Amino acid sequence: MKKDTHITTAFDRDLEAIETHIMRMAGLVEEAILNAATALETRDEALASAVRAGDKAIDALEEQINMDAARLIALRSPTAADLRTVLTAMKIAGALERCGDYAKNLAKRSNVLAQMPAVAGSAGSIRRMAKAVQLQLKNVLDAYARRDVVLAEQVRQDDHDVDQMYNALFREFITHMMEDPRNISACMHLHFIAKNIERMGDHATGIAEQVIYLVTGSLPAEARPKADNTALMTGTER
Amino acid sequence: MTTETTKMTARSVQVFYGDNHAIKDVDVDILDNTVTAFIGPSGCGKSTFLRCLNRMNDTIDICRVQGEILMQGENIYDPRVDPVQLRAKVGMVFQKPNPFPKSIYDNVAYGPKIHGLTRSKAELDEVVEKSLRRAALWAEVKDRLHAPGTGLSGGQQQRLCIARAIATNPEVLLMDEPCSALDPIATAQVEELIDELRTQFAVVIVTHSMQQAARVSQRTAFFHLGNLVEYGETGQIFTTPRDPRTESYITGRIG
Repeated sequence: MKKDTHITTAFDRDLEAIETHIMRMAGLVEEAILNAATALETRDEALASAVRAGDKAIDALEEQINMDAARLIALRSPTAADLRTVLTAMKIAGALERCGDYAKNLAKRSNVLAQMPAVAGSAGSIRRMAKAVQLQLKNVLDAYARRDVVLAEQVRQDDHDVDQMYNALFREFITHMMEDPRNISACMHLHFIAKNIERMGDHATGIAEQVIYLVTGSLPAEARPKADNTALMTGTER
Repeated sequence: MTTETTKMTARSVQVFYGDNHAIKDVDVDILDNTVTAFIGPSGCGKSTFLRCLNRMNDTIDICRVQGEILMQGENIYDPRVDPVQLRAKVGMVFQKPNPFPKSIYDNVAYGPKIHGLTRSKAELDEVVEKSLRRAALWAEVKDRLHAPGTGLSGGQQQRLCIARAIATNPEVLLMDEPCSALDPIATAQVEELIDELRTQFAVVIVTHSMQQAARVSQRTAFFHLGNLVEYGETGQIFTTPRDPRTESYITGRIG
């Protein structure tokens, strides 16, 4: 009884075009995150500059998705799952655009950090955290493409790990700064980077919630575990 | 304003055209001060069911109706119920505007006259004016009440038919695709009127336009192959339908 395709095939083409743009955008964002983290670790200023320049393409895709969505709403009056497809595409594009901005900011700071003495071990930790978030994004976009609620829920739960990596880095940076005030400039930059990566994890979680809404028609009810408790830290705990 | 007061209750309604089982075991509550939309593909039974609500199917020889349809506790298919009286209480507006070949005034005055609802010319004038005002037509026709109704534009004719239907002061107004012969402006005017009318009546509308159902109704019933598949609040039906058949229909996947 229920068919997957519309009687008007152009409707399907319009919806597919929006999803294709989302997947392309996600690909660019994942690449930007990994490249920015690599540039930080290897002090590769050319790669960092490429990441900064590449953000324009991500922004352009978001604009394209929003325009296509507005057009689809105006011309086709989508309802039910079709409507949710359009609404979630706009929100997911917005979340990906923010992730792109954070990656760009990371690249920018990595160029500044390249001028300073390295803080031992920090770039490797940042790269591992970036890798974890990139994997979260990859998983959530797989969940989106496959309409997989179970995987989306898994991504929501896994954000806990990213939060804990951020907590560990937060403590580490405070330790470095207290040990040697000459580390303060670098650690401040590194801390913003870690915080921005943690924010990307939150966006991956937000996308996971959009996938759940897309498939089920309602947002997940129960709260997810939050492990970012740095707002409560004084810097004196050991 | 919507109320949860039930105006009409249909229980286990079956309709047969000869051997054809056109309506299968339909239960529905029609709420007062609410626009209820019946949607579904052609031949799904929505118009047939609408016509049960004022016994218009009585005029079709091979049509049999089973089950019960209650209006304020009384079964409208009870042999003691006079279908002509019933239709004064449950008015109807059709797809194509069908004014009588009479003056605008006489079109509206006809129902109150044959039902003996008015005692004087002055009273009848008052009913005609009030009905035309409620149908949002008064301003356009007050200077030519004795011109033929058929001389009006399509949208005006349809509003004249609505004025005629409400002149007998019905409790329920049935509309069978009332805008499908109208242009978008006239459609918007009739839709605006429908929203006004629900402050006084229960309105039931059959429409092929899902967008119209979404725009004008508070309740939507989806019919398919003679079954009432899903009945619920209009916003819910169009955003999170529960039955996959409803979803397929409203998103344009089955015809």
